This record gives sequence, structure tokens and C-alpha cells, in this order.
Amino acid sequence: MEKRLSDLKPGEKGVISRVTGEKVTRRRLLDMGLTRGTEIVVVRKAPLGDPIEFLLKGYNLSLRKSECENIYVLLEGEEKE
Amino acid sequence: MIEVALIGNPNVGKSLLFNVLTGGKAHVGNWPGKTVEKKEGICRYKGEEMRIVDLPGTYSLTAHSIDELIARDYIVKEKPDVVIDIVDASNLERNLYLTLQLLELEANVVIALNKYDIAKSLGYKIDVDELSRILGVRVIPTVATTKEGIDKLLEAVLEAAKEKKRRRVSIGYGKAAEKLISRIERTILKDKDLSSRYPTRWLAIKILEGDEEILKEVEKSRFRNEILEVIR
Repeated sequence: MEKRLSDLKPGEKGVISRVTGEKVTRRRLLDMGLTRGTEIVVVRKAPLGDPIEFLLKGYNLSLRKSECENIYVLLEGEEKE
Repeated sequence: MIEVALIGNPNVGKSLLFNVLTGGKAHVGNWPGKTVEKKEGICRYKGEEMRIVDLPGTYSLTAHSIDELIARDYIVKEKPDVVIDIVDASNLERNLYLTLQLLELEANVVIALNKYDIAKSLGYKIDVDELSRILGVRVIPTVATTKEGIDKLLEAVLEAAKEKKRRRVSIGYGKAAEKLISRIERTILKDKDLSSRYPTRWLAIKILEGDEEILKEVEKSRFRNEILEVIR
């Protein structure tokens, strides 16, 4: 099942299925490597759940919760071709 | 004087490399009309003088942020002899995205594969020769903190500056997009002024992407209707 990246818990891993949102934000997320098919792991969340730290493509990235709401992932083992 | 631009993602060691190359003597000002810092310095190597311009750190070269626009405009309009693309060797996948954009812009790229020591300590084995072959540019492993590889990098910059002909690497976007790209490219070629100022394939791709700055530029062309017809 497709989930929002912001709904994943620390330690959970997903594969990005799509990135939505406003053109500028979306473009920026894509530029930073959040492209379809990329594996992404939630490392930890700040006390109020915002921002969230991720591990992808061998580097750590912190995103605001609002930005992660535009990113959809498939949980491991569920990704389809 | 050889004009050299430095570009790279944020946190790749660009400022450090700039200081290593220029001996820390920089002329600091602003980019014309922008409140973004512009750093310039001189590097002398084997009797050659190079003017080093530090471009803002960016992940990409779109028209969405002022930093990216400055970097892009400098490369397109000032046409530096060589662009040193500083790539974080410990984070290749993300960094090579900017590299591909530079190649698409037909910049004369030399890659400084920086933080090579960190990549090695992480256990990464990078086939430098193969990377160089695939990208069609010189790739030099460097460690800016210990000045390792700096002489080789400067050697590569001088070689690249003297080269007249370059092998062009282009990235395919699949049949459907390629068809549109070549259609737009053909119409761009009718405008001699436009096609002399920009690499035509790059321009066609940007038009297809809906890049605002480029669309403004195309609007000024006599052939605007023909060029833009494809995306309407």
C-alpha cells in the first residue's frame, strides 16, 4: 500500500513511488535525489515530529514534515514493477 | 588568462578547494544586481595564470533559485574556459546529477572527485578511469584538506583549456521526448542569434521542461511561434 513518507516511523524503509506538490518544491525534492524508485529509510524524528531525518542514496537528509507529505512510498516488499 | 569556474553541491569542500587554489587571496564582491557573494581569485601554475570564480553551491541548474540561476547564467553567458565540477566521492549518485546538467550545458568540465579519502574509508571503490570514459571528461581524485591531487587537477584543467574539440556526451530521454527535442531543436536552428548563444539541445530540453527564464528568452525570438508550437 502506498503511504505518505511523513507517516513512516523511524526504522521503517520504503521505496519512493511518486513526488507531488507545488512545482518548485517538487523540483527541489527531485534535485536532491528523491526520485521514483529510490530507497529511503526514516532515521529519526524531532520531538514534535518535525523535521524528520532520512537516509537515502548514502546520505542523510532532513526534511520538514510538510515537505514529506508530498512524497509517497511503497513499504519494503510491496513495490511493484 | 584562463577563466575557470568552480561549481558543486553544497558541502563538497568547494570553499576549501577555492582557498587551496588561490592561496586564500580572494576578491570578494557581489554578483551584479544580486545580494549573493561572488568570490574570485588567481591561481598560478606552471607559468599559466587562471582566474578562479567560485559559483554558488547548488544541487541543480534550474531557474528556481537565484543561486542556481547565477551559476547557470555564468556558464552559459560568460563561457568559462573550464568548469571544475567538485563532486563528493562519498556521495556520488546525488552529486552526478549536477555533473550531467553541466555536460548537457556543454561546459568544458573537469571533475574533482573530492573527499576521496572519506570514500575510501567507507569502503567505496570508484573506477575513476571508467567514470571518466563514460562521462567523457577528466576525473581527478582529490582531498582538499591535505591538498592531495591538486597538482593533477591543475594539470587536467590546463589540458582541458587547450583542447579545441571535445567529445560530447548526451543523455537520452526516451523515444517520445527525443522526438520532441529534435523537433524543437530544428526550429531553434532557424534563429541564428539564439542558436549561437545557447547549446541548442539544452535549449530544447529547457523549453520542454517549461523553464521560465528560457521561455522569456525564446519569446524575444522572431521564430517564437514556431519554436513554442511543439509545447502548446
